Amino acid sequence: MNAEGRPGWVLATVSMAVIVFLQIPVLVVVLAAFSKTAYLTIPPQGLTLHWFEVVLTDADYLGAAWTSLWLALASTGGSLVLGLAAAYALHRKFVPGSEMLTSLVMAPLVLPSVVLGVALLQYYTLTGMRGYSAGLWIAHVVITVPYVVRASLAGLSAVDPSLEDAARVLGADGPTGFRLVTLPLVKPGLVAGGLFAFITSLDNVPVTVFLLSASQSTLPVKIFTSVEHGVDPGIAAVSTLLIAATGLVLVLAERWTGFHKYV
Amino acid sequence: MSTPSKPAGVALVSPLLLVLVLVFAAPVLLMLPLSLREYVPGTGITDRWTLANYTQIFTDDYYREVVVRTLELGFGVTLICLLLGYPLAYYMARATPRMRFALTMLVIFPMLLNLVVRSFGWIALLANRGLVNNLLVDMGLIERPIKMMFNLTGLLLGMSHIFLPFMVLMLVPVIQAIPRDVQNAAYTLSASRPRVFWSVTLPMTAPGILSGSILVFVLTISALVTPRMLGGPTYKVMATLIYDDFLQTLEWPNGAALAFTLTAMTLVIIGISSRILKRWSGSA
Repeated sequence: MNAEGRPGWVLATVSMAVIVFLQIPVLVVVLAAFSKTAYLTIPPQGLTLHWFEVVLTDADYLGAAWTSLWLALASTGGSLVLGLAAAYALHRKFVPGSEMLTSLVMAPLVLPSVVLGVALLQYYTLTGMRGYSAGLWIAHVVITVPYVVRASLAGLSAVDPSLEDAARVLGADGPTGFRLVTLPLVKPGLVAGGLFAFITSLDNVPVTVFLLSASQSTLPVKIFTSVEHGVDPGIAAVSTLLIAATGLVLVLAERWTGFHKYV
Repeated sequence: MSTPSKPAGVALVSPLLLVLVLVFAAPVLLMLPLSLREYVPGTGITDRWTLANYTQIFTDDYYREVVVRTLELGFGVTLICLLLGYPLAYYMARATPRMRFALTMLVIFPMLLNLVVRSFGWIALLANRGLVNNLLVDMGLIERPIKMMFNLTGLLLGMSHIFLPFMVLMLVPVIQAIPRDVQNAAYTLSASRPRVFWSVTLPMTAPGILSGSILVFVLTISALVTPRMLGGPTYKVMATLIYDDFLQTLEWPNGAALAFTLTAMTLVIIGISSRILKRWSGSA
């Protein structure tokens, strides 16, 4: 191989600097969570677990965490069911106008989230659904379903349709053929899509913040709104727990599905 | 081939379709009449129709400033992401598979992390009593903290960090797709490194650069969370102004008009870029 084709040390240095830049805010948050002082210094002046204790015994934070979790699980579940069914029909061209339908399903990715958020705020106010958890749940299905459909379509396009036909010939009906043949083959893509949906729901502020009832909050919305009243190390502690959870999910997802191929 | 069965297909698609029509299309369309309603401060929304909510975005100095700031931010963040992302993407594309995997993970990790958490990290860094200012003061380099939040600096830094992974992940496969032989052929013809970059590498990756830039630009001008957290309630962009119109000042018609303007901007940009990309791929 030509030596000129290999990356030089300048490029290597710049690249590593950019990688470090990407991790810096993460490291800072973790440092802040263990810091004794309310403001950050390098090196940190004393380490403490105090802020974790504060956060893990705070009813507000626990309630927000619970809301975030059920919302993410329920909307991922809804998206997987609705998204896989639709993707299967779209992929097999069962319905006329498949291409137009696909763009409609993907449209929530293109529309700025804040626009959907305010549109739903007005809509739910008009229809009397404002403040209901069901409305929030459906909204999260809408913003997460494109990821599931995209992953399902990618997974389905790699499956040879004659495999399912073979199952039919051997006496399986449509649903059985799908369950025993196609579903296991698209499962890795589906897991990746579901994870994306879960993370997207867990991350969302621009839609959620407009639809929560006064007594409700999710973790990101709570952090988002409380920052306006000042920065406290409790936020850093919650954030650190979220960082740890994300890291764990990434490692597990990589083990299960080779997640990075789907990003 | 399996015979397409229409009723089954319709039954599979219609639940999702129903949800999207009722909870996506209808709400957005119903906001259109709202954006054409007159708003009188003190009284609220009246029954009269008006275009003023749209025209003021372009005629009113305050609104114009916010729109221009939003676009400046979009261009600035896109440029920074390109300048930082291209070298990293190039290095990743040419690295050994092991190294590429490790770096990909390090790029994906901050991207998957909660947006609010990442923005909070930048607050901890850039605030007046944040890490950077404390460090500079301790080292005796400055006497008083430098203002890095609630202004363009903070937003540029924070948002470039947030959207950089998207740019890198768009560029890596494009750079990987360049056949080594083409570059080596140029070197054999005794072209210098910069020459090869300008005449071979850069043109061949242009579609990836455009796609990545459009993605970052659109994400930046639509972003709410980071601009609000790092810009505060006073340094506004379009998305944060919409947020305030709906939740703080309750001037819904203004907010709705701004929301449609922002949507139109993103659609026009995506439309133009996809036409350019189509033309490029057609001529290649």
